[in-house]
Amino acid sequence: MRDYIIRRVLGMIPLILIVMIVSFGIFSLVPSPFAALMENPRIKKADIQRLQHAWGFDLPWYLRFFKWFSGVIRGDWGPSLLYPGSMARDVIARALPVTVRLMGIEFLVSLVIALPIGIISAVKQYSVTDYVVTVISFLGMSMPSFWLGLMMMMLFSVVLKRPDGITPLLPAGGIITPGLEDASFWVKFGDRAQYLVLPVFVLSFISIGGYARYMRSSMLEVIRQDYIRTARAKGVPERSVVNKHALRNAMIPIVTLVALSMPGIVGGAAITETIFNIPGMGRLIIAAEIKADYPTAMIGLLLISVLVIVFNLVADIVYAWVDPRIKYS
Amino acid sequence: MAEKAMEAKKKGQKKSSEDYTYVGMVFHRLTRHKLAMVGAFMLIFILLFVFVGPLVWRANPNEQIEGLEGMFNVPSRAHPMGTDDYGRDVLARMFFGGRISLFIGFISAITSTLIGALVGLVAGYYGGWADDLLMRFTDAMLSIPTFPLLIALASVLGKGVWQIILVIVIFGWMVDARLVRGLVLSLKEQEYVEAAHAIGASANRIMWRHLFPNTLAVLIVSTTIGIGGAIIYEASISFLGFGVQAPFASWGNMLQNAQQFIWNSPRLIIYPGLAIFMTVLGFNFFGDGLRDAIDPKLKL
Repeated sequence: MRDYIIRRVLGMIPLILIVMIVSFGIFSLVPSPFAALMENPRIKKADIQRLQHAWGFDLPWYLRFFKWFSGVIRGDWGPSLLYPGSMARDVIARALPVTVRLMGIEFLVSLVIALPIGIISAVKQYSVTDYVVTVISFLGMSMPSFWLGLMMMMLFSVVLKRPDGITPLLPAGGIITPGLEDASFWVKFGDRAQYLVLPVFVLSFISIGGYARYMRSSMLEVIRQDYIRTARAKGVPERSVVNKHALRNAMIPIVTLVALSMPGIVGGAAITETIFNIPGMGRLIIAAEIKADYPTAMIGLLLISVLVIVFNLVADIVYAWVDPRIKYS
Repeated sequence: MAEKAMEAKKKGQKKSSEDYTYVGMVFHRLTRHKLAMVGAFMLIFILLFVFVGPLVWRANPNEQIEGLEGMFNVPSRAHPMGTDDYGRDVLARMFFGGRISLFIGFISAITSTLIGALVGLVAGYYGGWADDLLMRFTDAMLSIPTFPLLIALASVLGKGVWQIILVIVIFGWMVDARLVRGLVLSLKEQEYVEAAHAIGASANRIMWRHLFPNTLAVLIVSTTIGIGGAIIYEASISFLGFGVQAPFASWGNMLQNAQQFIWNSPRLIIYPGLAIFMTVLGFNFFGDGLRDAIDPKLKL
């Protein structure tokens, strides 16, 4: 097991390097924002060239990559172009908590709803409940997130009003009511919660289907096993067959599901964040990359990719740990 | 695979299945899958809407009605779905936008499946360093967050239909590559591959004539579901403003400026979104049914 982990960790290094080079290569296709300044007669050519040089836009992309990479190794992630005057690291640090809050809540809500649904539809396979769950799961999986977001916004922020008849039932976007920044904790908590309802609903509706079907197939797999038949044959009540014997083993693949969802919690959801005007990671990365702010975009992308790679390993290790049938050599 | 499916079929069903070919059997099983049939009808409806619709309703999707009176018209006899923010007929744009969205969906799903199949075949068949190299690259591509890079590439490459297809294909082949590689690893140990070796068939011939056809069933399923995914990708790229460019319509770019209409003209959001949703749902239902239909272990 120790050798296996060491081998996997060493294997990560080339993987992360490929990820860096591919993403950097794609970003470098975005034209330099300073080239457009050349048109402006009031800016000195020398100044533009100095800017180009400072950002490395005067170099071919692979040399710029080395320039950036040697900074990264020394712990210098570079300044942000999108937010002049800020360091790229700080720009990311501002967006990160917003996204983690949104995606974390969304993930918990989805799991709490999806797992029981998946279990019930497996236990009652081919029943009406199972069909309804299947159809709703497919609805969620086929729904374009921006469309659902806009429809929800239309319903709750335009059509439905609060009792006073003027204020919409739920705010259409943002994360906090302006002017409430210094209010007491509970007032702020309630205020932020309102802003989270719609985005969390939209994101959960889309992911619940996949999770529920995953749980369902895992549960079905276990229910077919011999030891479940044995338990039933020796007269164990159906309730405890499901809750004790089957469920424990059916939960093992959920370890993988949780581990592989972690990168998404950091990466955010670009489209939903755009619609609901949430200053999170997904929106930031896209805004940064189309403005050629490669230092910011690279931190964001690297953060997500590294988490994907690391949590793949974590999933495999934890899986082997909870399921003694699996051995790595 | 076909033989195995036939045997399972013979044991499982009383009805004689010896008359069926493999395709016939899959088709027969598919017709008994309720959700697949619902999906098929939805897709037929959409295809009729998009391809027969313009023959019945001959409005020009790009013709603008000048002046304020032309904009944001409510549905009427002259414009069954009203007009949009440029005074264009929404119904006609729905027809032609649908053609573009479906075209992008079909072509990019099929192309990425074929590329994935090629990578998977080579990696699985040759093994060794070719396998290592290709699969490490596949792993790396899978660990990169797709959506931000998709947008970055789309913003650079330009806004034509083929550019969007290219972008979707670049980030869409990896899952199929893994799938095919896994299948090939087990298929190449079978006797008929050994027999092909023995009579001196070339590697190319074995890969494309013997191995590839046996992965086809699985690939058709993944393409079917992939079409739905590609349509959503196109719509998302267009929604953010990097997709197919005006004046050409696609269901995605009809929603591009939609957010500002939620106050006065929600129709403009509802129609194209509903069309995307129905199409993707149809492909998902149908693809899922197809997956069940080709799975010999499953009784239908």
